[in-house]
Formats: sequence, C-alpha cells, structure tokens
Amino acid sequence: MTAFGTTRRGLLGAGAALTIPASVARAQGPARGGDPLRVGVMTDLSGPFAGAGSQPLFWGAEVAIELFNERGGVDGRPVQAVTADSQSKADVAINEMERLLGQERLEVVTGIYSSAHAVPLSGRFEQSRKMMWITSAIATAVLKDKNFRYVFRPTVHSDQYGEGSISAIADNAQAKLGLAPDKVKLGVIYEDGPYGTGVASAIEANAKSRNMPIVLKEAYSSTAPDLSTLVTKLRRERPDIVLQVGYNPDITLFLRQAKSGGLRFKMLIGHGAGWSQIDRLTETFGQDVNFMCNVDPAATQMLDWSKLQPGVGDLAKTFMDRFQAKHKLSDPPTHASMGFNNTWIFLEHVLRPAVRKTGGMTADALREAALQVDVPTGGTIQGYGVKFVPPGNPMAGQNERSIAVVMQFENGKSKVVWPTSLGQPIVMPLPAGNAYAAR
Amino acid sequence: MDSFLLEALVNGILLGGVFALPALGLNLVFGVVDVVWLCYAELVMVGMYAVWFLYTQAGWPLWVAFAACLPVVSVLGLLLHLLVVRPLLAAPPINQVLATGGVLFLLQGAMTLIFRTDFRSLGVDMPPMEVGEIFVSGTKLAAFCAALVGAALLWAFLKFTYVGTAIRAIARDREVMPLMGVDPQRIYLIASAVGGALAGLAACLLVVQLDVHPFVGLSFGPITFMICVMGGLGNMLGGFLAAFIMGIIVSVGGFWGTTEFSYVVAFGFFIVTIFARPRGLFAR
Repeated sequence: MTAFGTTRRGLLGAGAALTIPASVARAQGPARGGDPLRVGVMTDLSGPFAGAGSQPLFWGAEVAIELFNERGGVDGRPVQAVTADSQSKADVAINEMERLLGQERLEVVTGIYSSAHAVPLSGRFEQSRKMMWITSAIATAVLKDKNFRYVFRPTVHSDQYGEGSISAIADNAQAKLGLAPDKVKLGVIYEDGPYGTGVASAIEANAKSRNMPIVLKEAYSSTAPDLSTLVTKLRRERPDIVLQVGYNPDITLFLRQAKSGGLRFKMLIGHGAGWSQIDRLTETFGQDVNFMCNVDPAATQMLDWSKLQPGVGDLAKTFMDRFQAKHKLSDPPTHASMGFNNTWIFLEHVLRPAVRKTGGMTADALREAALQVDVPTGGTIQGYGVKFVPPGNPMAGQNERSIAVVMQFENGKSKVVWPTSLGQPIVMPLPAGNAYAAR
Repeated sequence: MDSFLLEALVNGILLGGVFALPALGLNLVFGVVDVVWLCYAELVMVGMYAVWFLYTQAGWPLWVAFAACLPVVSVLGLLLHLLVVRPLLAAPPINQVLATGGVLFLLQGAMTLIFRTDFRSLGVDMPPMEVGEIFVSGTKLAAFCAALVGAALLWAFLKFTYVGTAIRAIARDREVMPLMGVDPQRIYLIASAVGGALAGLAACLLVVQLDVHPFVGLSFGPITFMICVMGGLGNMLGGFLAAFIMGIIVSVGGFWGTTEFSYVVAFGFFIVTIFARPRGLFAR
C-alpha cells in the first residue's frame, strides 16, 4: 500500500512520532541535558478535518519540534510532544484536553485546528489556568470580548479573512471588472460552524462598509450530501463573485455541482481550510481551479525570503527542505507553514525565555513570556511579526501583527495577489476558457 | 412554474434516487435478518474506495471497476453476517446494534490506516443537460437511472425467483417459514449478500458524486437510516418511496428557505411521521 505514501506501520508510527523526537534528539543532536519539556500537540489526525488541513498542520509542528531539539532545545533540555488526536469531534477534543491537563499534567497545549473545537476548549483552558496556544483555529469569536489570560493565538483571526477578500475585490473592481465596487454583486456561502459563520460575518461587515451588495448569504452543513439547491439559488441571484468558507468535502461537492449546475461567475474566493489544500483541489479539478483565489496567512514558499528578517529565510528554507523530503507535496499547504511557524514561535519566543527565566515551564511563566514577545514584521517564516494583545482588550491573546493575504492559484501553485504592495496583479475575471467563467 | 423551482424539484427527485438504493439494501437486510446494519454506510464507503483504487491506481476501465465493486461489497456483507451478526442472532437487539456499530468504527479506522485521511476523487464528470433554463447534472441523472434499474432488478428477483419468494416469506414470518422447509440461515446469507451488493451499487453511484474519504458515510448514512424508519423498517417499497419524499423536501425546502432550514423541515416531517405512524409512513 505504499502507492499512497502510507504503510500501516508508518501511520501507526505517525501518531507516536512527536513523542519520539526527544529521544531521537538525545541520540542525534546537542539537546542532551535535563528533563524533557513536555508540550501538548492536539490536532485532528482522523475525521474530515484531517484531510482539510489538520494533517499538514501536525506535520509542520512535527518538523518544528524536531528542528528545535536538534538545535539544542532549551539549554540541552529537549521538547517532548504529547500528542492528541481530536478526531474532528468536539467531544473528543474536550476529552483529550482533560487527559492532557489531568493525567499528563501538561502546562500548555498547542495546535487546535478547528474553531468548533477552540470555542469550547478555550474557556476550559482559562478555567484551568493552563496555556492554550492556537496554531490554526481562526474564528474571532474564540477570543473576542472573552478577556482570556491563558489563551494565545499567533495566527490570523476570521475578521482578517473578510477584510482580505473584500479589499481585494474593491481594490480591483474598477480596473479588472469595469464595475464600481458598490456594483459588484457578492454571493456568500459558508459552513455553519464558528469558523464559517465568523468569516461570513466579517465578509458581510466589510462589504457593508463599502456598500457592496450581497445577493445571497447562506450557511450549510459541511457534511451535507447535496448542495445543488444552493447552486440553483446562486444561479438565480447571479453574483459576480462567490465567496466560500468551507472545509473539504463541501468545497469539492460545491465545485462539482456548480459546474454541472451551470453556475458561472467572475471570480471565486475561498477562505482557508479546504481552500488551502491546493494540491488536492488541483488533483480533483485540474485546470478548473486555475485563477481562483484563497485568503489565508501566506505559506512560506510564497514569500521572498530575502526580504524577511535576518536568519528567517534560512529557517524557512530548512523547514521547506525537511517538509518536502518527508511529504512529497508540490506546493505544501498553508497549514504546513502554520503548524511549523506558530509552533516555532512558541518554542523559540515563549518556551525558551520562560524556562531560562524560571527554570520551569508553568503556564503562568509561559503566559508572562508570551506577553513579552515582540517580533517585528518579517520576523517569522510567514512574514508577519508577533505581538499579543494584552489582557483588558477585546481581542486579548490575539497576535496583532498577524497578516492574511489573498493568493491566486495557477497550475497547482499559489501566488500572493493582495495586499497589492506585496503581491502580483490579480487575474480577474476568470479567463474565458475556465469552466466556471461567466460568459 | 418558476424554472428555478422546477430545477430544485428535479434535483430533489434525483437526490431521492441516490438515497433510495442504500435504503433498499438496509431495509432488505433488516426485513429478513431482523438486524440493523449500523455500518451500512461504511460498506458503501469501502465500495467507493474499491472503485477509486481499481480505476485510478490499478488502471482498470471504470465500468470494470464498477462491476468488480458489487461482488467485493457483497462478500463484505456475507462476512459481516457470518462473523458478526450470526453469532448474535439470539442476543438482545442492543448487542446487535452495538456490534455492527463497532464494525462501523473498524471500517473507518481500517480505511484511515490504508488510505489515510486524504480526499480521493475519480476525476470523472459527465456534461450537464440543459433543458431551457434548467440544468440537470449528467452524473446525477445517470446515477438516478442506475438506481431505478437496480431497484427494478431487485424487485424482479424478489418477485419472480424461488429464493426471492423465500426471502419475502421469511421477512413476513420468521417463525413459521422454517416449518415449511425454508432454511433461514441460507436465506439470511443470501439477503446479506444481496444487501451488500446493493451497497456496492450505491457506492458506484456515489463515488462519481462525492469525494471518497473514511468518513464519507457521515454525509448520507444518518439520512438513509431516517428514510428507512420513515418508510417503515423492513418495508422495501416504503423506504424506496420515502427516499424520494426526503429528497424533494431537502431540495425544495432549501430553495424556499435555506439549506439548513430544509433539514429542519425534513427532520420535523420525520418526527411528525413517527408520531402519526410509528411503524412508518407506508406500513400496512
């Protein structure tokens, strides 16, 4: 069964892989002295979320921990990851959190792919006074007005997704579509969890602020077996641009039924999760997804590494070399970069100073260290800096320097097209030969 | 009639065709063996993987992959009966349900181990049919026709063959038929094999419409059970008709309201049906 890159032994090993680096590091690298520093890593390694980005998120974190240990850990103390598979189910995520905090007695858990998990988990972490370090879940609602003290999110939040897609449309409407921004009709479809509703609300708010009409805004379940009625309604409303927020089975189902249902548009913009898996989308739809767009933090390979802070480009290259050696993906998804980058930020900028300062890694010491982090823009492999909003603010715990970009697909690769200052010109509307192009 | 509403109605009927086949298979097994295969959607999922593997990895022609899928899942149905159901035939129903529920997780886990969690696609598409302002998916229409043919063949088998008559007789009276010379164990085996083959046929129809992944059963499994109960568990014609009712409610309800609203209507209708006719909408 190696034809698909997996053997039974290999997959069983993957679950335990993150517990191995400590011992491997002792054998291979300079991280030799002292007790291991135990860090939880919770992702969805099974269930629908695994194929929608959670698996590469885990792989990215795996590379970060291996590399950190090879480079000596924290003064010789290696990091030992304690892994948990939340199986794409919120109840399993809660049980696993109880295990990690109760039985494993961890002070910090990193990861958390889904906002549907992050929302219930965040309150429990706060109650337990243990650190939750979110590397993926983006719903603004996870942090907004909660005033959490132990929950941190170095990555972007859903409001930034809405700002990204609507700004990209507004900035290019006149030049590319020959329409004033307030004449561009939008159709918004989204999965009905916190992630989808959070991004859709942000899209709506940003569209309203620019007087852009939304002709259809509708939620659906990501496990829905059929979306053809939604396609029919979109066809009736004739949006110029469709904005979708979804995972993976729903995205491919929608694209397939949109094509057979005769839905045509000038542009389709996705918003992370399933839309970040360009390898998979290209495998399924080939050239049909060419020139469609996605909003997300930039995958590191999209950036010009020479423009990052000194040393960060080298780190990005090391990550990419290792990741691609392990996982043969032509264009590693954003989640791979997110997994590495946000775990690396924790290890390098939070764990190391906390341990050095206190000799241990209590949640309070980690929290103090997190609030001191001050990484300038260009200081991480995804291009953004890190500075957490302090307690007492509506978005306490959010990285205020995180950046979402709009990227466009072309032949299985992604390129940044917004912010305009960072990217290349967007191709809009979809070229006439595209299967979904409005005629 | 509004052409878009008409399109939604047609979509609902086509969707009903997709739901109908697994509902038929599930009802056949329940009607004869009196055990609910909680893992039925996962048998379909295994069949979808079989088609995907044979077509995209082994390079078989698609129709050969389809033809091979039916016996593969049929054998799986046989094994399920022999290894899991038969030892529990005299056990309380809850034990049987839990056992087949265990098979559900076993199959999901096994497929995850073998194929990982990636979403797999055949990459096969048929051009849509455009009738006036109405678009009809060629893939869905072909699947619908295949479902009708499959249902007709099943009906003919049950109606015109000796074994089919025995199956119907056992379904009607499990106690008396053995006294008349019918070997129930043999009939159970045949019903399980036919139920498995129907899951295989459903897999062929679904694999061209949905991506394959270990949890794809979540997309259609719960609604299939609902359809079976609504039509009357064990009542094949009832389940078949209920599938179309459910397809139309989901599609037209989604057109008038929202996609989420349509499922509220569908589940509301289901609850009312169960209250009004506890043995199913089409119970005699």
